[in-house]
Amino acid sequence: MAKFLGINRLAKLFQIIRESGGLKQTYLKLYRNDDLKIGTLVGIDKYGNKYFENPYYFYGRNRWIEFAPHVNMDYDGSQIPADWYGWMHYKTDLPPIRDGSRPKYKWLADHSENLSGTKEAYMPYSTTPPKVEAWDPKAKK
Amino acid sequence: MIRAPLVKALGALSSPTHQIQIGSRAVRTTAVIAQQAPAKAPEKIEVFVDDIPVQVLPGTTVLQAAAQIGVEIPRFCYHERLAVAGNCRMCLVEVEKSPKPVAACAMPVMKGWRIKTNSDLTRKAREGVMEFLLMNHPLDCPICDQGGECDLQDQAMAFGSDRSRFTDINYTGKRAVEDKDIGPLVKTIMTRCIHCTRCVRFASEIAGVDDLGTTGRGNDMQIGTYVEKLFLTELSGNVIDLCPVGALTNKPYSFVARPWEIRKVSSIDVLDAVGSNIVVSTRTNEVLRILPRENEDVNEEWLADKSRFACDGLKRQRLVAPMVRMPNGELQAVEWEGALIAVAKALKKANGQVAGVSGQLADVESLVALKDLVNRLEGETLVTEQGFIKGAGSDVRANYLLNSTIAGLEEADAVLLVGTNPRYEAPLVNTRLRKAYVHNELQIASIGPKIDLSYQHENLGADASLIKDVCSGTHAFSKVLEGAKKPAIIIGADLLERPDGAAIHATILDYCQKLKKKDWNPFNVLQNNAAQVGALDVGYQAGVEAVIKAQPKVLFLLNADAGKLTREQLPKDCFIVYIGSHGDNGASIADAVLPGAAYTEKQAIYVNTEGRPQQTLTAVSPPGMAREDWKILRAISEVVSTPLPYDTLDELRSRLEDLGPHLTRLGELEPASLSEAGSQATISKSINGGPIDVKQKELRDYFMTDAVSRASPTMAKCISAVNKQQRQNEQAKQSVAI
Amino acid sequence: MLAKCATRTLANVYGGLRAIATSSVQRSDNLFVHRDTPEDNPNIPFEFTAENKKRVEAILSIYPEGHKRGAMIPLLDLAQRQYGWLPISAMHKVAEILDLPNMRVYEVATFYTMFMRKPTGKYHIQVCTTTPCWLRGSDEILETCKKQLGIGVGDTTKDKKFTISEVECLGACVNAPMVAVNDDYYEDLTAKDMQDILSDLKADKISPPGPRNGRFASEPAGNATSLTEEPKGPGFGLQAGL
Repeated sequence: MAKFLGINRLAKLFQIIRESGGLKQTYLKLYRNDDLKIGTLVGIDKYGNKYFENPYYFYGRNRWIEFAPHVNMDYDGSQIPADWYGWMHYKTDLPPIRDGSRPKYKWLADHSENLSGTKEAYMPYSTTPPKVEAWDPKAKK
Repeated sequence: MIRAPLVKALGALSSPTHQIQIGSRAVRTTAVIAQQAPAKAPEKIEVFVDDIPVQVLPGTTVLQAAAQIGVEIPRFCYHERLAVAGNCRMCLVEVEKSPKPVAACAMPVMKGWRIKTNSDLTRKAREGVMEFLLMNHPLDCPICDQGGECDLQDQAMAFGSDRSRFTDINYTGKRAVEDKDIGPLVKTIMTRCIHCTRCVRFASEIAGVDDLGTTGRGNDMQIGTYVEKLFLTELSGNVIDLCPVGALTNKPYSFVARPWEIRKVSSIDVLDAVGSNIVVSTRTNEVLRILPRENEDVNEEWLADKSRFACDGLKRQRLVAPMVRMPNGELQAVEWEGALIAVAKALKKANGQVAGVSGQLADVESLVALKDLVNRLEGETLVTEQGFIKGAGSDVRANYLLNSTIAGLEEADAVLLVGTNPRYEAPLVNTRLRKAYVHNELQIASIGPKIDLSYQHENLGADASLIKDVCSGTHAFSKVLEGAKKPAIIIGADLLERPDGAAIHATILDYCQKLKKKDWNPFNVLQNNAAQVGALDVGYQAGVEAVIKAQPKVLFLLNADAGKLTREQLPKDCFIVYIGSHGDNGASIADAVLPGAAYTEKQAIYVNTEGRPQQTLTAVSPPGMAREDWKILRAISEVVSTPLPYDTLDELRSRLEDLGPHLTRLGELEPASLSEAGSQATISKSINGGPIDVKQKELRDYFMTDAVSRASPTMAKCISAVNKQQRQNEQAKQSVAI
Repeated sequence: MLAKCATRTLANVYGGLRAIATSSVQRSDNLFVHRDTPEDNPNIPFEFTAENKKRVEAILSIYPEGHKRGAMIPLLDLAQRQYGWLPISAMHKVAEILDLPNMRVYEVATFYTMFMRKPTGKYHIQVCTTTPCWLRGSDEILETCKKQLGIGVGDTTKDKKFTISEVECLGACVNAPMVAVNDDYYEDLTAKDMQDILSDLKADKISPPGPRNGRFASEPAGNATSLTEEPKGPGFGLQAGL
């Protein structure tokens, strides 16, 4: 009956609000993530991103990330480092903190996010000569 | 050289086509030959081409007879301006009662022949020939520059078999021939060659440079120079057009564009005074190449190398924005408004002390606009950079034109060249002279330095006093001239710049009065730049001395890049305005540079050396902020508040018509009669002795003569190729001496 | 060697697979462009000898004015006889004499295979290998030449004395197999004869040219085999009634 009236959903909402830490925090979370979910914290990577899991949600939505607070609204999927990428995309169920067999080398490069659309984006320079070369009065013949 | 009498002998003995050409030289196409039969026309004979009766003169070939009724017989080796070779066999046609198909290009028709150009036998013969040609031709059309404009491609489609029997490709491979390096202009891929020998014949008959030939025999035959040698002539580009396949292609244009991507605009060449008709090929607002356009009266279907290959100069050293010289002495790019105001301020201050100098590439419209502007500002001094005789010499058109006309020179039988090298000053005038030399027993003598004209001529010496000897009738060559039916004397424009130029001019003019015949004017001045005749026609004076004398406050340089005027010769406060397309001598001394349009970027009239006005058409738009020259002048007039009375090209053209009605009759020649050209009695006729020189003596002098060609990387390559070849020859000579 | 074998096998396979009979393309072993070499370059002067200059005059006088270029082949031949072969400077000399562009002389000199444009030995052994000679054993003759001189076809011995060429029919088929040494024909040869000729030439002794099997010219080797009886008189074989 409670299910029929949707009371269990309401209860869920209150549970989420409680676990998020109050109404304000819940609002901020919703504003930032466009979503409200609760789950177990699986791990935190070295950039401060938090990874959650909750099998209550269906496959594909049961693992998610809350990006580190310092990136604010400038978060991007490519900020997920390579070691967490596999877990996030269900390539493995073992998160890197629990997977001891992952190689760790000194020469492994630090993760870098995709810079497309930003100022730092890579721009190849044109190798095509201009159709018309203008006269430069300063150039000595 | 020896080939000339041989060709003549061949013409007289065996080749009927030559007889026709000698009989009526002025006409070229067979259709015209039939109409303009000589006075004593031999009886015409009737033949049947595909059962259609045709009346032709005896000696007409099968191919020409078919052409008369519009039946085109496929051919590779045959070319109407070259001797008949008959070696490609593509023109085989069936003739009734003939046991074998006959080669149409070489076989004169006989009375009553029934020629079948579309019978089974004919088609089979063509298919067979095509199969043999393709057997030894690579299948590289996708990477071939000729692809899309290739005779072999077209004819293989039209006349070839629809399937191949060539199965040998993995087993023995196809014929392969090594490529030859024949210079920076013509790229060779000799495996594609089908041995039509058009290039060989062109080199020996038209260009007069017997460097190409066929070596070897049979399957090993190849076209080339045998020794490692460049094919260096001022007409080398024409072999590209002649080549029916992609064996000889345009080197600067290689891998640039496909013919179907190209927009073609008919235009006029302005890099020499001939005014060759050209087709400008453009794509995405870029001039890619220049091809000749047929005009029997001017360039036939040839084009000189500078005109053809200097087009990459249109993309370099361009003026793309107006510039004004800043107080620190440097030219800086500004907006049009700023530049025009700077010019207007200077003009206000000048107080009528305004002058104009026009250069090599100025079109008639801008010349008129400049003249009107300067006159409105109460300036009088309007001159051309190229000098001419002093005084009133340029009032009469006949004084500065090539009166015998370019096509007319073909009929001349005695020519005296005075202080000119037509081979490099006007290569296509020289081909006419060579043609007359080969087919018309033309006798040529020259006064000036010893030069190679590509045909035999008598060098009378370099001393100017020889002119007097010849013109007084005492010299041996005077007899030749006086005995000739159509004599001509051609004077180089540079010669008339000399202090005694007027005397030379008057002396020769007087002599020409004696030589002249009915409908034949023997007096010729060979101009060396495209703007000169137009400028003189609209009333410019010749020579920059007048400007130096006038010491103007504002000086307009209209495309004046020859560097004849230096900053030092002008007053310190003189404000120089340069209007033109290229940053060259003119722009570097200017205080304000106004970017104009080059000849491919404007619709403009140029008058060639024989006085024929022709117009260029806009092929591409001017780069950057550049504008058409006359519009710039119109804008200046607006800013100085004496607006010129024309806003459109049509209005300007009607102003042109007021100045000279002939100027707008495009393509038509207004003959200037010699009787008008009175010699000026006031001028003393004392010709100072002293050697006559010409500027362009060798091929290397030919390539860079104006702002466009000086900016062209291809022309620079040509010069270095010529230098390299010469160095090699010298080294070889030295090693012999050692 | 191995590579050669492999190519040959491959070619056989291809030929077999395609089952199309093709003859190999016969290319000339001569080069039809000029490459400067120490022996042959335009800087080596060439001049006709005084004696040959007279011959040049005589040759030129045969041809009418305006058709002097007809003398090109005789002059080139004269130059080749004088020099042993035809260097490029000789072609230039002929061009100069005839007042022709060099190219016109190159065209002729490269067209004719008997103008030798590369250094050729004093004795030019031209072995005919066309069908009649081949049937009569020219392979053997050619093999003998190669073996005895130690060079291949188209090569010249180190001492510049001998050059072997394989040539097409020289018109002495009745006396096949035959070999031409410079201008002399040696006919009806056997390997033994060829050996003798070559060893004579090595000693600069020129053995008498002509048939080697005792024939005088091209008459039948033994007795006549046909038309041996007396000719029949007139009326032979006619009907009695005629």
